[in-house]
Formats: sequence, structure tokens, C-alpha cells
Amino acid sequence: MNRIDKAPDVNRRAFLKGSSIMMMMGGIAIKAADEKAPAADAPAKKPSSPPVKCGVIGCGPWGRDVVQILGRMPNAPVVAISDLYSVFAKRAAQEAPNAKTYIGYQELLKNPDVEAVIIATPTHTHKEIVAAAIAAGKHIYCEAPLAHTVAEAREIALLSRKNPKIYFQTGLQMRSDPEVINIKNFVEAGAMGRTIRAQSQYNKKQSWRRSSSDSEREKMLNWRLDKQISPGLVGEIGIHSIDQAAWFLRSRPVAVTGFGDVVHWKDGREVPDSIQVVFEFPGGVLASYSAMLGNSFDGSYDMFYGTDAAIMMRDRKSWMFKEVDSPLLGWEVYARKETFHKETGIVLAANATKQASHGDNPLTSALTHDSSSLFYALEAFITNAYMHKSAVEDFEASFDSADTAALAEYLVDINKNKVQHATVEQGYEANLMALKANEAVLQRKRIEFDPNWFTLS
Amino acid sequence: MKPIFRSPRLILATVAALFATVVIAETSLRYVATPGSKMKIEGTSTIHDWTVEGSIIAGYVEVDSSFPLDPSKETPADLKLTPKVEVSIPVRSLKSGKSTMDSVMHGAMKQEEHPKIEYRLLEMKPRARTAGAPFVFDTTGTLKVAGVTRTNNMEVTMTPMAANKIKWVGSSAIKMTDFGIQPPAPKIALGAIKTGDEVKVSFEWVTAQKAAPATATTN
Repeated sequence: MNRIDKAPDVNRRAFLKGSSIMMMMGGIAIKAADEKAPAADAPAKKPSSPPVKCGVIGCGPWGRDVVQILGRMPNAPVVAISDLYSVFAKRAAQEAPNAKTYIGYQELLKNPDVEAVIIATPTHTHKEIVAAAIAAGKHIYCEAPLAHTVAEAREIALLSRKNPKIYFQTGLQMRSDPEVINIKNFVEAGAMGRTIRAQSQYNKKQSWRRSSSDSEREKMLNWRLDKQISPGLVGEIGIHSIDQAAWFLRSRPVAVTGFGDVVHWKDGREVPDSIQVVFEFPGGVLASYSAMLGNSFDGSYDMFYGTDAAIMMRDRKSWMFKEVDSPLLGWEVYARKETFHKETGIVLAANATKQASHGDNPLTSALTHDSSSLFYALEAFITNAYMHKSAVEDFEASFDSADTAALAEYLVDINKNKVQHATVEQGYEANLMALKANEAVLQRKRIEFDPNWFTLS
Repeated sequence: MKPIFRSPRLILATVAALFATVVIAETSLRYVATPGSKMKIEGTSTIHDWTVEGSIIAGYVEVDSSFPLDPSKETPADLKLTPKVEVSIPVRSLKSGKSTMDSVMHGAMKQEEHPKIEYRLLEMKPRARTAGAPFVFDTTGTLKVAGVTRTNNMEVTMTPMAANKIKWVGSSAIKMTDFGIQPPAPKIALGAIKTGDEVKVSFEWVTAQKAAPATATTN
């Protein structure tokens, strides 16, 4: 989701750092650049699984983050990288000195050493690359959104279903983040009462435009500003918050209404730089998302409002704000608290109790899971891809490999052991919701979701 | 050119070959592993009992024509059987549902050096039974876990199924230390969790009759 964060940026990060409002910029996922590098004398972390050799397709800012994170993992050797723009490929190669560098992804896919690929190219190129990667028998991590049209997202999902031997993970990284999963479990346990509203925002002073001395190259770089292929702010960035809202609410929206226009960056673009969408969920629960590239105040966050308390999630940290008439949970008396204007936020952190039992002071300890969401998603990808690969190998070595129905059944069983991740179906649903929201923005209308749209067949 | 069957030697050779084929087909039936099997290891620890499961059991059973397969016929007490059975189970296919425990278990079983559990049948004695009663055998075989081979005695029940399949069911109590496996005591919780030495291994193995190789029945 933070692909664009590496572009030239006018923000107030420095100003806000250290203020009582905490860090507000940069969205929910901490950027790889912010990630703590392990200390030289730190004991080596046990790998989450035996190694899976990776190829990274697309080495823009996000792809470079991917290469960097994989490079830090003990079981994800990057053996190949590719980018149509050789400068990008070379820059990424510095992070992965043992990788073979290719221009076209087709060449990378021919490399028999590559077992799994991470696709971090512009959204509208995903489908073609996914199809080729499946044909080449590579496991796939494809960035979200999966595609720039619902039809292509559906094609990707169906292709993945038809090829059960290939492990597919969608790049909705929050689904693998232990801090987010913790909050989700917390919400489901009813600690905030019944969830009645969700609201997310992304405010940033940034043009979303990138420059190059080569005009052809500049056109390619600015695919996000090309109305024909851009999923828009809600499709490219909002998709993560929308997926999270539907995930937490455990339901699908019935309708979405959108507004938006070009209000600040009037450089000839047609893709709105300020948008607001409202999803209607069953039972009258509204989930709104707003994004703006003209002002950065209050940055990015996700809010969930319940009948007993509200929860704010920001930069992978979360706080609970209780209503005065809400029941006493008990533990919150001892929990760490932070003040926001006139409100007191109770810090919600995964393993806070365990930290205390280990003698750490929960009032001062940092997050237990201090890597980025992307790190956890890629770690899940490697663990799951290995599990999937070995299951297929063991099955085929033990039984008649022509029995694909039995293999598919066996893999369904194997899926129960996988580390939490976003499946291709979840990727498709998030894609559908986000693209319909973008359509609602562009056409300034209310779109009702036909339940059949969610069905993959 | 003379028609080939004019030659008495050729006729003789052909008849002999056909006879040999029939004999092979009659004396050796091969059943190979097929999906649908279940493998379970149940153990104890100081905090809770645990279970590990898998569904991949590879291998084959080769029996001759004297092998009792018809449930409607009784099995005499003195029947001598010499089937060949080889079984293997990939250690990494055994899962507990918890990745941390899996890695402890796979490590204890020295999965990297010994990726498979292997079993080979040495002896199989059928118990006398009346027509319609279940087929029960007393078996002796070698079981190899974590690179250590031990003799194993086990009671196995056989059930012929539709589509020329046979299901074999059995269970056996074994000790980890017999196979050089130290019962895991993970370092979490200050080593307070200790696993019991004895575990119960049980299985349901489905095999399907494999058609005789094409070369033996044609020409």
C-alpha cells in the first residue's frame, strides 16, 4: 500500500514526530526503511521454514522494499530480479548481490532456480504476469490490487483455482500482521460491544506524479494518473482499509457511494486527488474511507466504533477509547494509556500480558512484533509456499499423480496449517469492493453490490 | 513367408508364455497406496495431551493367490502367508496444527537427515476366522524412525473395499527413546513442558489393486 510513499513527498513527518498525536504519516504499514535492522550480535532468528528461492518482478520503490525484506530473512534467497527499466533493476541488485538480473519477467520465469515470484509491477500488468508465472509453475505473491478491472481480477482468481499446485497469496499484508490479527480477535471477542461504524482516512500532501527525463518512461511511471488503467486512490491505497473493514465486520457490503474530484493537483490529470466513499454493510453499518493528496493533517488511520468502545489503529499501533457506561474489562486498569486531546486511549498490543509475565514493563515496552506488515506477509508467503510445495511433492511421490481431485482435497487439508495470509479469493473480493468504489467516485453515484459478483465460478 | 503358427516350436513357446503370464497374474497381486489414508500419533506432556496427524502413507502390498481376500470364505488356522509390504511416511507431512510444535517435532525426529518413517513387513500370521468375520493378522516388521530401526509387533485388521481397494488398520505403542529420540522439552516456559516417552501410533492405510503391467498380458 505504500508504494507511492517513496515518491517526492511534502509532509510534516519531522514536525509530528514526538508530538502527542504520535506518528501520523505513512499509513498502517511501517515502511521497510523504518524497519529495525537486527543488531550484529543479536541471536539469529530461527527460520520460519526451510528456504524457498525467490524472484522479484518489478523493482520500483515497493519491489525494492520487497527485495530488502527478503534479504533479511534467512529462508528467502532472492535468486532473480527483473524490471523493464534497467536502472531500477540495477539498484535493486545492490540489495540482492547473488540474484540474476533480467529486463523482462519472461526471462526470469524461465530460470529453473526460481521457485516463487513476488509480483510488484503496475497493477494493470499483473494478470499477464500471473498467467505466465502459473504456466511456469512458480508460487505467487501478487501485490494488491490484483488487477485494474474486476474482470481481470476474476480471471486471476479462476486461474489460481484451476492450478491448485501453485500457492497464491494476495498482497493484503495486514492479514498476516500479528498486531492487526490481535485487534481483529479483540473486536470479535466483543470487547468494544457491537461494531456499528468503521472509518478510515489517508491524508498526504503528495502529487502522486513521478518525473523522468524520458517522456515515454514518464508516461509509464505515471500509470496511477492514467484514468484508463488507474484503480484510483481508493483502488490503490484504500483497498487495504476496505478489506480490513469487511474482514473485521465479517460481512460483505450491500452498496457503495462515492465522491471525488481533482481539487489540488490541477496538472491535467483526470484521476481525483480527493475522494470519499461510503460502504453500506448489512444492519445499517457504514464504513467510510477518505483519501486526499492535498493536505496531510492527521495522516492515516482506521477507526472502528462499537457500542462500548472505539478502537483506533495507526502505524500498526492501536488504542481503545471506552464509553463511560461500558462494562469494566478488568485488565485495562493496568494497561498503558496515552492521552489524545481530551480522550484517554488504552494501548492494545499483542502479547502485552506475556511481556508483563516475562518481566518486561508493559508500560514502556515497544510492540512485540516490531517488523512491518510487509515483513510478516512475506514471511507467511515463504512458510506457506514451502508447506504447499512439499505437500505436492510428497503427494506425487506417494500416490498416482494423475489423481488431481485427490490432490486438491489433500491441499485443502494442508491449508488449515498455513500461516494467516490473504488468499486469492480474499484478494478478489477486496479488489471488487475497491474497484466498485472507484467507479462510484468517477461516476458520482451509488452502486449496489449484486451478491453474484462475489461468486467465483 | 510361412504363417507363424505353422511352427510347432513357436506354438509351444506362445502357449508357455501365455501360461507364464497367467501364473504371474494369479500368484502376484499388487496393491499400491492410494489417497484416503490417515496416520495419527498421540502423546502426552506435562501440560496437555497432543496429537499429530498426516494423510500420506506411501508404499505397496504384494500378495499371492493364497492370500485371504474373500470375506465370505473362512480362514484356516494354519495358513502360511508371505506377502511383501513396504511403507513410508514423509515426516514433514505430519502436522499438529501448531507450527511451533511441528518444528519441535520434526527436529526431534531428525527430519532433515531422515525425512521418512519406513516400515517393512517380516512376517504376517492370519488369525483363524469364520466366514464373514473381520480379517485380523499378527504382524512383525521393522520400523525405522529417525534413522534407527527396531522390530515392531502389531495387530492389523484388513477390510476389502469397493473398487479393488483394501484398507489396513492398526496401532502400536512405541517409545521415542527406543529410536534415539529424546522426548522434547521445549525451551519455552523455562523447560517446564516435558513430553511423555510413550506415544500411540495408529493408521488407516488405503491401498488399491494395481492393474498388471501391460507387457505381461499382451503379445
